[in-house]
Amino acid sequence: MKKYNTPLIDDLEKGPWPSFVTEMKKAAKRSEMSNDALGHLEKCYSTKMGYWKHGGIVGVLGYGGGVIGRYSELGNEFPGVAHFHTVRLNQPSGFFYTSKALKEICDIWDKYGSGLTNVHGSTGDLVLLGTKTEALEPIFAEYSSRGWDLGGSGSALRTPSCCVGPGRCEWTNYDTLDLTYNLTQEFQDELHRPTFSYKFKIKSSGCACDCVAAIARADLSIIGTWKGDIKIDQAEVKNYAKTMDINAEIVNMCPTQCMSYDGKELKINNKECSRCMHCITRMTKALRPSGERGATLCMGSKAPIVVGSLLSWVIVPFIKLEAPYTELKDLIRKIWDWWDENGKPRERIGEVIEIKGMRSFLEAIGVPPQPQQIKEPRKDPFMFYTEEDVASYKAKEAEEKKTGKYKF
Amino acid sequence: MEITELQNKIYAFCEAAKGKKKLKEKDIIKGVAEAESVPGDEVKKALRAMIDVGKLMYSYGGGASSVEIPSEEYLREKGLLK
Amino acid sequence: MALPQRKTDIGPPHYKQFLPAVIQKNYGKWKYHEVLTPGTMVHVGESGDKLWTVRVASPRILSTDTIREQCDIAEKYCDGHLRYTTRNNVEFLVADEKKLEPLKTELKAKGFKMGGIGPHITNVVHTQGWVHCHSACTDASGLVKAMMDELYEYFETKSLPNKVRLAVACCVNMCGAVHCSDIAVVAVHTKVPNINHETFKNMCELPTVIGSCPTRAISPDPAKKSIKINADKCMYCGNCFTVCPPISIKDPERDGVAIVVGGKINSLRTSPKFSKLVIPYISNEPPRWPKVVAAIKHIVEVYAKNAKKHERVGEWIERIGWERFFSLANIDFTFQSIDDFTFMRDTLRTSATFKW
Repeated sequence: MKKYNTPLIDDLEKGPWPSFVTEMKKAAKRSEMSNDALGHLEKCYSTKMGYWKHGGIVGVLGYGGGVIGRYSELGNEFPGVAHFHTVRLNQPSGFFYTSKALKEICDIWDKYGSGLTNVHGSTGDLVLLGTKTEALEPIFAEYSSRGWDLGGSGSALRTPSCCVGPGRCEWTNYDTLDLTYNLTQEFQDELHRPTFSYKFKIKSSGCACDCVAAIARADLSIIGTWKGDIKIDQAEVKNYAKTMDINAEIVNMCPTQCMSYDGKELKINNKECSRCMHCITRMTKALRPSGERGATLCMGSKAPIVVGSLLSWVIVPFIKLEAPYTELKDLIRKIWDWWDENGKPRERIGEVIEIKGMRSFLEAIGVPPQPQQIKEPRKDPFMFYTEEDVASYKAKEAEEKKTGKYKF
Repeated sequence: MEITELQNKIYAFCEAAKGKKKLKEKDIIKGVAEAESVPGDEVKKALRAMIDVGKLMYSYGGGASSVEIPSEEYLREKGLLK
Repeated sequence: MALPQRKTDIGPPHYKQFLPAVIQKNYGKWKYHEVLTPGTMVHVGESGDKLWTVRVASPRILSTDTIREQCDIAEKYCDGHLRYTTRNNVEFLVADEKKLEPLKTELKAKGFKMGGIGPHITNVVHTQGWVHCHSACTDASGLVKAMMDELYEYFETKSLPNKVRLAVACCVNMCGAVHCSDIAVVAVHTKVPNINHETFKNMCELPTVIGSCPTRAISPDPAKKSIKINADKCMYCGNCFTVCPPISIKDPERDGVAIVVGGKINSLRTSPKFSKLVIPYISNEPPRWPKVVAAIKHIVEVYAKNAKKHERVGEWIERIGWERFFSLANIDFTFQSIDDFTFMRDTLRTSATFKW
């Protein structure tokens, strides 16, 4: 194996934080591909530019995603990375593994690939970094026969992902792990065969802490919430008071000012609570949500390309989420149908909603307008009235004339 | 329409667009369904069967996915062309 | 040897088979948790059962050797159970308290770094960079390594007013939630792209390329069967390069990074926020990007000194005002911090009340 002189990236083996260069060197001991990847990276560091080409057309027969083609411009100089494709394995919900399963994944990867991975990629897949075109079908046969499928890529449903949820968190309001598994199984076709205008991401967080960053990077962001009161254990409040200034750290930081504490008892005006989770996360032994559990569905978030970043907008303020999740699945299909009708290539659903208008979208998916969907009403007087709108306002007035009572 | 006949129409539709326009799966389904007056679901089924055996393939370029006629190189890699 | 029979559309394996017994038993019935140290926490079920978690830093790029080493440790102390976090840390799940300290001792001896839970800096969400991406204009892994070496004490021991979420994006495509981080680095181009007119006509669709431009800087060039780019309108986003390889935007001497601050994704106290631009440009200086690292450390320190307990970076800045942030942090205010793209109306000041 060729020995590369890599003084620049060698510097990144020093220091306390674990080094990715050390990882690459470990893989390079056994893999010509990883060895060339090291030399290739050193070259990038010395010239301050990258040499990877646009993704190419590679994949496994029948699927339109799960493999990202990657080729280097410097294939002659670094033949081991002339092809260096990525394989995305669909991760288990919540990123839980047994050592047995992970070692099996490693064995197959060492046989056919570079031995380098990302555990995990940004979307959530277990990413296998660097293999050759001819290894793709064998890799797929080896993994799929052992129960592992590929994840999504391209203009398709991307691999859904979620927070740890009921697996290890007292705050979750629905079973994020089960919902993610269930939706992934339901929409296998949409995940493997790109039929959409562009990518579509679904991420599920169990509460407003949003540990999977659903609100910022999922076309459909499912954020757990509840409808009942926050139950208070006053004895535990007393314990927290020993180490915490409850008025300064909890009561005064409550965004709706719906709490009070007189040094003895903590009170919450639950009707005014917006369920932000601040008090609960700071006093988890003392405070717990109660009553009906479910989620708020938000939509549209994405990164800046093309015309600026979006955060997801509230679409459905509350939905119950219990298996088999029929209401949510039907809604998702309606959402995709509308997007399919209205979206041009490479338009995310948030962009299409902006272009076509929220009304068009809400009407298509059968969701009524509700004040929970907005921060504030429109500021300008330019608006559409349909014939039906005006007729309904007129009918309301006719009714008022009869009853003698205004109804606004 | 017989599935093989429909598949020939789908293939011809893709061939006509080759090098001119990147076809998304839904372009093909809509286009062929309209031209041949067959339901979109039937076109989709026929199209999928073609993709499953490498008669057509999913492609990716310019940040978006499309469907096209496979290259010889692809067919050789998949063992479909000796 | 013959390959096994492939299966399609099976989806991921069911997660239940990977859950340790204590999780199976207490699934959805956790009562509370306590952070014991920056690297360990314990979850307590309504049943009284306990589950200890030890969180270990990861460089995200892992060799199979390291994954196997993690597996061996999990077998020794966790009945083979481990998980990873959305920020790429590895978590060892311990059901037997007697195994907790021996696990930590072995992790320490093997050089694994424990920390990041609670009001600390944990692993940095980042993109592929020069290691594996075609549109990278910096290396994300190297920047992260350099940043975390410098900020390491905030991972392992030193507390902050609240957690500080860091991110690095190696171009404005921003894979990952860089646009909503407390402090993030985003790599930027600063020059109008070059066009290879010869290859353009065979490789690119004209309407797609024109449509890819957010500022409408691209128009057809019929004589060349190609396009023209209006330099007065181009903001160097590189989206035209994404859809059309003959358009080239890489420039080693001009590519660099910008720093954005004040974003968050949770809804605690205040709504989720985008990160905002405070430092428009720092040159790429591999392998350690010293000025970028210094800038981030400086912002963390100013935040640590001035924010109230529980305030995230963005909440602190909104309380004191952006003009005060720039003066406290002693950062030059530049034209690039004034939005002239899509958010101008929302971001300009409309009152004469502000701080000197």
